[in-house]
Amino acid sequence: MKSLLQAALVIAILSAIGFLLGPYHTDIYRKLLLWIALALSYNFLFGVAGQVAFSHFTFYGVGAYAIVILVTQAGLPLPLAATAGIVLCVLLALAVAIPATRLDGFYLALATLALAQLFIVFLNEGGELTGGSGGLTSYRLPDVGGITLSGPRYTVVIVLLVTFTWILLARIDQSWFGRACRAVRDNPQAAAAMGIDVARTRVIAYALTSALAGLAGMVYAFVDNTVSPPIFGLENAFLLLFMVIIGGSGSQIGSVIGATVLYLLPFVLSPLIGHHHALVFGVVMLLVILAQPRGLTGLWAARPWRSR
Amino acid sequence: MQDLIELLISATAGGCIYALFALSYLVVLRPTGVINFAVGDWGTVAAFGGFLALSEAALPWPIGMAFVIIAAFGLGWLTERIAVRPLVERGAPVLAPILALLGMLVIFREAVSVAFGPDPRPIPQPFGYGRIEFGLLAASYQSIFIIGITASVFVGAWYFFERTLAGRSFEAVALDRRAAALMGINLRRVTSFAFGAGASIAALAALLLTPNTSAHYLMGIPLAIQGFTALVIGGVGRTEGALVGGIILALAEQLTMRYVPIAPGLVQGVPLLLLIIFLLVRPTGLLAARGASA
Repeated sequence: MKSLLQAALVIAILSAIGFLLGPYHTDIYRKLLLWIALALSYNFLFGVAGQVAFSHFTFYGVGAYAIVILVTQAGLPLPLAATAGIVLCVLLALAVAIPATRLDGFYLALATLALAQLFIVFLNEGGELTGGSGGLTSYRLPDVGGITLSGPRYTVVIVLLVTFTWILLARIDQSWFGRACRAVRDNPQAAAAMGIDVARTRVIAYALTSALAGLAGMVYAFVDNTVSPPIFGLENAFLLLFMVIIGGSGSQIGSVIGATVLYLLPFVLSPLIGHHHALVFGVVMLLVILAQPRGLTGLWAARPWRSR
Repeated sequence: MQDLIELLISATAGGCIYALFALSYLVVLRPTGVINFAVGDWGTVAAFGGFLALSEAALPWPIGMAFVIIAAFGLGWLTERIAVRPLVERGAPVLAPILALLGMLVIFREAVSVAFGPDPRPIPQPFGYGRIEFGLLAASYQSIFIIGITASVFVGAWYFFERTLAGRSFEAVALDRRAAALMGINLRRVTSFAFGAGASIAALAALLLTPNTSAHYLMGIPLAIQGFTALVIGGVGRTEGALVGGIILALAEQLTMRYVPIAPGLVQGVPLLLLIIFLLVRPTGLLAARGASA
């Protein structure tokens, strides 16, 4: 009951912020929330389940394109299109993860890197279906139950997505499955000896988080009402990895902090260094790994002035 | 027929480039267990080094090439000192240096983009654009140059790994770091040398490739994918595996581009497809490690 109230309070506050902002800040706020949702699910995949994958942003793109194509070109009703989009993400995730997690090592990293690269090519070459390099534009969200979701009301949808992702992943993290994931991350042999099916745990974690990324992508599709290949480029997959590492991998609050810092930093930095944030992020990420592997949350936990 | 042979030769030359990147992975992977996705971006940095040495300074090819390859050895050595050694000596899990190298990948790529901007830069052909035609045989000079150099590099690498004490010590470090150290193998030196040599090989591959494609700051990731795919196809257990895997991958790509009616860009899907097939059907690669196979 208490946690339900907490969730309601968080939703109310985050939504209220949405109603106070002007158009420019609304745009920043919405994208920040989407980055947080992505960082949360990527944190589960990378931080909790210990898998290096570069496909998270790709599934965000698959979700976004899928819902637009299914609603506008196939004419499906929204709930059906959303379900089909999730199913598509899960099937694609299984096709990649089942072969790639059969072996130890970093085959998933490679396979997902190749998948991410291929997805952009597919979007560019997709002709009518994906709109080529220009992407798909000038569509709009169908009314849901007679309500037009636009403006601050759509921000509420994004807030609901973020809180849903947070609560779902926090629950799973504390369940037997979350513990199994951590066990597999820390020591696959020991996990297997305890009766955990290592490959299945990895595949499920990958498919689950990929589906969550797809869901976030579906929400994103109606933020700008445009989807195009450059949005889903590989740089963003690296950025997501950096967010989780810098914030503190394995920690949900760390992912929120990492996503917020890295998303907002360019707004502060661009007067100083123009568009070269990625260089700064790379250096910061390297320093974090070398100096404080638990990221910003680890820095906080190890604060020297803490009273013991 | 002549046409097909020319296609096969140019595909083999392309496969040699992948094979060199696969070898660059392998040289680092053998003694350290670290998969270094930054190999492609070592290649990027070297390609721009080649642009400076061969196009800007207009050095003769052999001198410019030697210069870039030696500088790349320093780059690899530096990469190890910055992103790997502190973590290994602290006893961090093997994931940590791999992530740190991903950070280095981004740093290399962005540094090149800051220094040279987004436009591709040309590298001159070592032998001009000539080609030979001899009966059914037809090939560009560049293809023959690539195949010749790669063949000698692989003979050298094979000799090093299989026949020299230093090469065997790589294997020993791979099998058991502690035991190797107790046998008097200098772990630091082996690791430094592995990264330096890996970067030199990647630099060589980039110098062979870029006269055909130009240097571009985004060239690294596709090469990293193709090189690793070649390694998975051939198997990480044997040095020749990298060469076999690279050539198979390039042939599959070229023949797909030629005979399958899909958009040319989608040929980039071939590595992923081959990767998935090999992981499902033959995860040890075509050539199993000696002693590991029945």
